[in-house]
Amino acid sequence: MFNNKTRILGALALLTILVFAAPAQSLSSGISINQDAGCTCHNGGVASAEVVPSIEGFPEGEYEAGMTYALNISFTGGPSSADAENQGGFNLWVSEGDLSPLEGATDVQQNADGTLTHTTAGNDQTLWQVTWTAPTSGASVDVVLHTNSVDGDGSNSGDLWNKATYTVAGFADMPEELPEARGLHVLMSSVALMAILTFIAVIYVFYRQDPDAFAWENLWPFFAEYLTSTDHKKVGTLYFLNGLFFLGVGGIFALLFRIQLATPGNDFLTHEEYNQFFTMHGTTMIFLAAMPMIAGLANWIVPLQIGAHDLALPRLNALAFWLNPAGALLIFSGVFSGGSADVGWTGYAPYVVSETANAGATLWVAGQILFVASSTVAGVNFMTTFCTMRAPGMGWMQMPLFSWSMFIATLMLFISIPAFGIGLIQVYLDRTIGTVFYEVAAGGDPLLWSHLFWYFGHPEVYVVVLPAFGIISEVLSTSARRTVFGYKSMVFALSGIGVLGFVVYGHHMFTSGMSPLLRFVTMLLTMLVAVPTGIKVFNWLQTMHGGSLVYRTHTLWALGFLVTFTLGGISGMYFPSVPMDVHLHETYFVIAHFHYVFVGGIVFGLYAAIYYWYPKATGRMLNERIGVIHFITGFMSYNLIFWPMHRLGIWGMPRRQHTYFLSTDDYFALPAEAADWNMMITVAAFMFFATNLILVYNILSSAMRGEKAPKDPWGGWSFEWTTTSPPPTPSFSQEHPPVLQFAEVHESEPGFFGRMLERMMVDEDNQEVSH
Amino acid sequence: MQAGGDIFNALFDEFVFWSLIVGAITFGWMFHHSLRYRSKDGEPDNNVDNLTPGVFPVENDNLKMELAWTIIPFILIVYLTWISWGPLDEMWTADDDAHVIHVTGYQWFWEFDCGDLDEDICATSYTTVEGETRPLLSLKAGESYNFTINSDDVTHAPFFVDWGLKEDAVPGLETRLYYTPSADEIGSSLLYCAEYCGDDHGYMTAVVEVHA
Repeated sequence: MFNNKTRILGALALLTILVFAAPAQSLSSGISINQDAGCTCHNGGVASAEVVPSIEGFPEGEYEAGMTYALNISFTGGPSSADAENQGGFNLWVSEGDLSPLEGATDVQQNADGTLTHTTAGNDQTLWQVTWTAPTSGASVDVVLHTNSVDGDGSNSGDLWNKATYTVAGFADMPEELPEARGLHVLMSSVALMAILTFIAVIYVFYRQDPDAFAWENLWPFFAEYLTSTDHKKVGTLYFLNGLFFLGVGGIFALLFRIQLATPGNDFLTHEEYNQFFTMHGTTMIFLAAMPMIAGLANWIVPLQIGAHDLALPRLNALAFWLNPAGALLIFSGVFSGGSADVGWTGYAPYVVSETANAGATLWVAGQILFVASSTVAGVNFMTTFCTMRAPGMGWMQMPLFSWSMFIATLMLFISIPAFGIGLIQVYLDRTIGTVFYEVAAGGDPLLWSHLFWYFGHPEVYVVVLPAFGIISEVLSTSARRTVFGYKSMVFALSGIGVLGFVVYGHHMFTSGMSPLLRFVTMLLTMLVAVPTGIKVFNWLQTMHGGSLVYRTHTLWALGFLVTFTLGGISGMYFPSVPMDVHLHETYFVIAHFHYVFVGGIVFGLYAAIYYWYPKATGRMLNERIGVIHFITGFMSYNLIFWPMHRLGIWGMPRRQHTYFLSTDDYFALPAEAADWNMMITVAAFMFFATNLILVYNILSSAMRGEKAPKDPWGGWSFEWTTTSPPPTPSFSQEHPPVLQFAEVHESEPGFFGRMLERMMVDEDNQEVSH
Repeated sequence: MQAGGDIFNALFDEFVFWSLIVGAITFGWMFHHSLRYRSKDGEPDNNVDNLTPGVFPVENDNLKMELAWTIIPFILIVYLTWISWGPLDEMWTADDDAHVIHVTGYQWFWEFDCGDLDEDICATSYTTVEGETRPLLSLKAGESYNFTINSDDVTHAPFFVDWGLKEDAVPGLETRLYYTPSADEIGSSLLYCAEYCGDDHGYMTAVVEVHA
């Protein structure tokens, strides 16, 4: 029997527990426990194996939802004896479900935390009865039982306790117990899957080339032929596949951060992952998807169009290509240096040289230096080809428009990309050997990077969009069965865009602290870009006049291009206006605008080019029915993604942010419907990604089973349609190049610029050189 | 409240008007021509300009039309530039009597310094944005302000979404924004960082409150 003194001490101890929430003490009036610290009960913190707790009444297998089970709790062993006044106590904890004493029971009580323990009355027994009501969730349940065996002498000494744990099986896995998807894991799995699928596709292509003569020994020669080739067609194929592969990778990046943005306050990606994904999305799409696809197309088509047997410098051509995968490896290996670049594709200084940027930014810079080298080499090569290898009879003003657009584009790239290269090297030195080009404290100027970057960055967008202009000119003219309207004004418009492209880059920097005078001048000049672009659009429209438009998949993509590119051009007119730009700058309006020109312009142009030139390149026709399905689904889902972004931008949703804020009672931000728009954009993004798989399927299946393509399936006029499909190697005879004929007599005198260019040529270049 | 401010919204409406006209002309033209001048492939006589492989085709142009769609868009552009020019005066005119508020960007928070301005004209305190403590800047409608912007580390940009204004906070450079909030703009709005600045860029917010 406890004396009064013990009771008072016990009460004081209980108070101490309540106040300090210390690890539990076993008391005659009950045990409370701390799951982590365990039960100190009557004998320090050490459990004793002499005491054997047991519990009966839990179901054998899975429990039934909501079912109430009667449990018997008991223990054996320890100092407890039936003769003594006090024998022991217990504490029962479960992770799921509800515990309760039997109705009317006085020997068991419930603690505030839901666990059950004995009462003072229950202190005299070694067996207690309680009930447990199973949860409905179906999750498995953890049970922890502490029992205390006491000798009944009223002091803690000599008493022993022990702990037992059980698990009651649930009938279902809880949804939150699923391993949570991590963005990087999803990405790595997707990339691995893409690599495996690509590998299988390549093996299958190898097999289907000649199933009868299939032999594994031929596999390496088949690869080696591509890996070592300097033929413009093979290098072009490599470029194009490289671009298509990274278009998929960049698309997966976009899908991942669209999941993040589907709802406000989402945490699918961490900030760090999100920042890396949008950086890599931009860099991948520009340098590893758009540029290689255009270069691949140019490799294939330019020599064929101008009647050359190959490019002027085939080995440099192969070098220019192989710098691309090398650069890609460098850029992506940043992931293994503790996080790839998280600087945005613009990589603004001084963030890009600061310590807060990921270590991968160094590799990101290094990879891009290789792209600069690649573009420079390719520029030299293409310009030489254009200047020296046009077929007899083909003056500058008789070059097909795709070749013209490539000429202007490579010229622009060649002139602009050194500035980018210089900036990259400065950043690289700053990041590696500690120079201070962009260290503000040492007098570095962050605006220098912006100027160098945009001096390249703005011409760069024309570099990628001009070839699309050329493609559309070819496709619309051939489909309408008419000469392109205003060939000369088309060439002048291309050149005009080429010149203006270099003097308008300041419109990216209207809010950068650049001099107001410069902003004003840039505003005037940028508006002017609309004039040559408008000439081109209206010339395309007028090309159809009086023609006989044949609806093929490439015609549909060209018309789709006209719609989306015009919309992108119109939205572009909102930015040069400085008073509007200070609101729209760095919002989703910008995202909407440049995706309308990049995807709606360049990618749609490239799709038109795939459908247009695929028969020439492979000798097989693409499936038109699948092509039309691709166009309809792709065009619709594309617009569903990017059209709503205009509205988000006007609402002021800033780009490159991990989340977005809806208006609350306390402040004004985005309206509530912005969340719905974002969800719709995410869904549409997945749809658009899926539609591109239709194209991949079409390319693969038509390569196997497509109809044989004739020489000139669409009725085009330029040289590539005079040769077989696929063309022989070398594409044209070097000794007897094709001679351009004329449908009507032209002035044969070269014009003013023609004479100037002629004068710039070294004499020997015009003569046949014997190799 | 409306995102963008008065100058933006007035100009935006004007631009949308002209966009609709340009869009209607272009798309009307495109749909008309692509449907009116269509053909079924394979008709022997539909090769209008007799395109033949290896032969540079006949000319197809019309100088007057080409000049028309060079000059008319040019006039439109001059007009659009002209109407964008007007508000620049208002935006860029330095008001010598404006209350100077120093805005400093840090990775990743904003600091507003009212100097010794009156509490009623400029006051700073704290509020919560989605559970995070963020600075609160209280301004008075009708007062003219000069936001002198700087950065302590990398480039940031305060984006006053309600007024449609932003200006980069460049380290080592003081940039300025002049603004007089009107009585219509009384209320609180979120201020974002609009220039990418690293990990917590998206959470670098503040609240700007304009009171009567």
